[in-house]
Amino acid sequence: MTGRVCRGCGGTDIELDAARGDAVCTGCGSVLEDNIIVSEVQFVENSGGGSSAVGQFVSLDGAGKTPTLGGGFHVNLGKESRAQTLQNGRRHIHHLGSQLQLNQHCLDTAFNFFKMAVSKHLTRGRKMAHVIAACLYLVCRTEGTPHMLLDLSDLLQVNVYVLGKTFLLLARELCINAPAIDPCLYIPRFAHLLEFGEKNHEVSMTALRLLQRMKRDWMHTGRRPSGLCGAALLVAARMHDFRRTVKEVISVVKVCESTLRKRLTEFEDTPTSQLTIDEFMKIDLEEECDPPSYTAGQRKLRMKQLEQVLSKKLEEVEGEISTYQDAIEIELENSRPKAKGALANLSKDGSGEDATSSPFCEEDTEDEELEAAASHMNKDFYRELLGADGGSEAAEDADGGSRPLALESLLGPLPTAASLGISDSIRECISSPSGDPKDSSGDGELDLSGIDDLEIDRYILNESEARVKAELWMRENAEYLREQKEKEARIAKEKELGIYKEHKPKKSCKRREPILASTAGEAIEKMLEQKKISSKINYSVLRDLNSKGGGSPPRDDSQPPEHTSTKKLSRRKRAATRNSADPGTSMGKRLRPLVSAQPAKKAAVGEIMAVMVTRMMATEWNSRPGSIPVLDSKCICL
Amino acid sequence: MDADSDVALDILITNVVCVFRTRCHLNLRKIALEGANVIYKRDVGKVLMKLRKPRITATIWSSGKIICTGATSEEEAKFGARRLARSLQKLGFQVIFTDFKVVNVLAVCNMPFEIRLPEFTKNNRPHASYEPELHPAVCYRIKSLRATLQIFSTGSITVTGNLDLMHTCSELHHSLLMDAALSCVGSRSSSSGPNVKAVATAVEQIYPFVFESRKEIL
Repeated sequence: MTGRVCRGCGGTDIELDAARGDAVCTGCGSVLEDNIIVSEVQFVENSGGGSSAVGQFVSLDGAGKTPTLGGGFHVNLGKESRAQTLQNGRRHIHHLGSQLQLNQHCLDTAFNFFKMAVSKHLTRGRKMAHVIAACLYLVCRTEGTPHMLLDLSDLLQVNVYVLGKTFLLLARELCINAPAIDPCLYIPRFAHLLEFGEKNHEVSMTALRLLQRMKRDWMHTGRRPSGLCGAALLVAARMHDFRRTVKEVISVVKVCESTLRKRLTEFEDTPTSQLTIDEFMKIDLEEECDPPSYTAGQRKLRMKQLEQVLSKKLEEVEGEISTYQDAIEIELENSRPKAKGALANLSKDGSGEDATSSPFCEEDTEDEELEAAASHMNKDFYRELLGADGGSEAAEDADGGSRPLALESLLGPLPTAASLGISDSIRECISSPSGDPKDSSGDGELDLSGIDDLEIDRYILNESEARVKAELWMRENAEYLREQKEKEARIAKEKELGIYKEHKPKKSCKRREPILASTAGEAIEKMLEQKKISSKINYSVLRDLNSKGGGSPPRDDSQPPEHTSTKKLSRRKRAATRNSADPGTSMGKRLRPLVSAQPAKKAAVGEIMAVMVTRMMATEWNSRPGSIPVLDSKCICL
Repeated sequence: MDADSDVALDILITNVVCVFRTRCHLNLRKIALEGANVIYKRDVGKVLMKLRKPRITATIWSSGKIICTGATSEEEAKFGARRLARSLQKLGFQVIFTDFKVVNVLAVCNMPFEIRLPEFTKNNRPHASYEPELHPAVCYRIKSLRATLQIFSTGSITVTGNLDLMHTCSELHHSLLMDAALSCVGSRSSSSGPNVKAVATAVEQIYPFVFESRKEIL
């Protein structure tokens, strides 16, 4: 507890966390300070004779974590990656925020939103730019700044709905309730951009008044705020004798011309537009109009009613049409019984040759069409007689070709329904010979109630129709087919030349196993082989140190390897802090908060090397360029 | 005020999306050549088949999965699916009609009053989101019914019942999103999908909140 006072609520109950380095007010939960390491400022004299401050910044992610080797190495790697992500995010947020002219408080809040998003893994699968833009827009909405999602979309050249989707996801996952947009927020900004000069305030006030009227008339619900602002500003500018064209307003407000015209037309329909300028500034109408979309819906209903009235008038004309239809149907019905009679006579007298010919002779005298049909059937009948088949079978198959006739002759005399069923089965067997049992089981499962097979048959084309359709499809997709041919030709050519490489699926990177080593030197060797920590470190010098330190024997073999290496490292660290020279003393002082006080043991050459690696790792977390020259000089001295 | 409590709301179902499987590979080229009511989309590897009665558009994949859209009731969707299966049988495929499921229902309901969307959103904050820059309607989600409601200022409400892919599908087995949806449907046979009752319950739930934010007629 300190005597500090909270800025937000004025409370004095402040909790200090030394491990995390922050001060939090327990009353309202605001973070007063998040970089507490030491409260003193020390200065040392450098080689040039001047004074420099002692100390360095410790990363938020690195605070509270003691650097260790061995099993815990990858935790540091993960932390480093997270720190880099946050650093990149902060840089992008400042870059975008400066373009939007946001203040520092908004930028810090946006960075906090970004940190929350990163901790919840909301950045996975999305572009970093989209997440950052969504965080900035979230701040604009919560702080009430006059920025639109379209502004961010314009800066990033990204689809506004893509940004909107990311924004909605962030708002939902972070449980942040962004308040609804008020179109009045944008009026001062747009008015300033339209350059009204000394009368800027008056025009803004008039535009605000117009906008209030529009809101009361339900024009703003479900509409983008910029369109309403454009219409209000255009009318207000004309009221104050400013000649602002529609194009100028459109370029500032970033809406289409038809949108602006539509808003003006909707405003014209309200009773406010009937007032004069003086009346508008004095009188406040109490009425509220319906939403414009509702009015449009009502108009559509009225059009439908008019259509109904017209349809009633058309009923008289339909009466005449139905009369003609009945007459046509009667004539059609009169022609059908004759054909039925002919077919009945044919089926009854099928057994005898002489009896069959006499009904044909009688029918010939009555109708020409019937005569033509009879002669056609007579020819087929005579052809079947040559085949020595039954008369009734031949008559029924008169329409078929030679192949079905052969099949029917092979099968012999059968009922009509059975014959058709067997024909279907034979066709299916020809198309897929091994599908008989599956076909029967499939037919069993499919419920055919209410399904008309004749209607479905009309969906299936015959061979000539299929050929025509294929030609049409080839013509429409000629470009696609040409591209496919070129692609295949290119692949074949590359295969001949031996250049072609098949696209192998990318292997997922395997996770590295934790380093298992009996000595510190061996562990450091493996770590350096797997990955280099930094490109700014001279590794050849480290290898020389490693070769010298490798000769020392292990102190205690009975303990587990990981525990042994950790314990030895901690001992060497403590020893090094006490026995190092004057330049090392300042380094030791900087690292003192991270090292716990315990008795130390003798230092060796290998121990010095291990401590040096530890210091370099600790230095990297701070990412300070100033500390690297000191490190390099230290390596050179060694 | 008194008449409002007795108002009967008509819920009109405008679209039902259902899926089923034929359990056999379908030769899309053959369907395209021999079918009169098909469109072959070679770029995406699917065939669109349209039926006139009931008015249904089916997306046919070569794996045997078929998606039917456009029906106006669940019985009509089932009937159309069976007619599609029969059409494919007539073309020569060994169709086995299995795994029929309704995956989405779209319904429209009109309120007799207008709704103040900003006020409604403020009162129902966790579930309702209103972004006039993106969409003119309030998006209201009901988790228990798996329904999403689009509420417009004119009083029109569109109810959509769909599966929540992000929560139910841990890994995608196919590259296409629709195939992923079908995988989820197949793996969740015990759960009940969207239906008309859920849509009606959604409208019943939303009515009191919408009524509070209605426009007052003076």
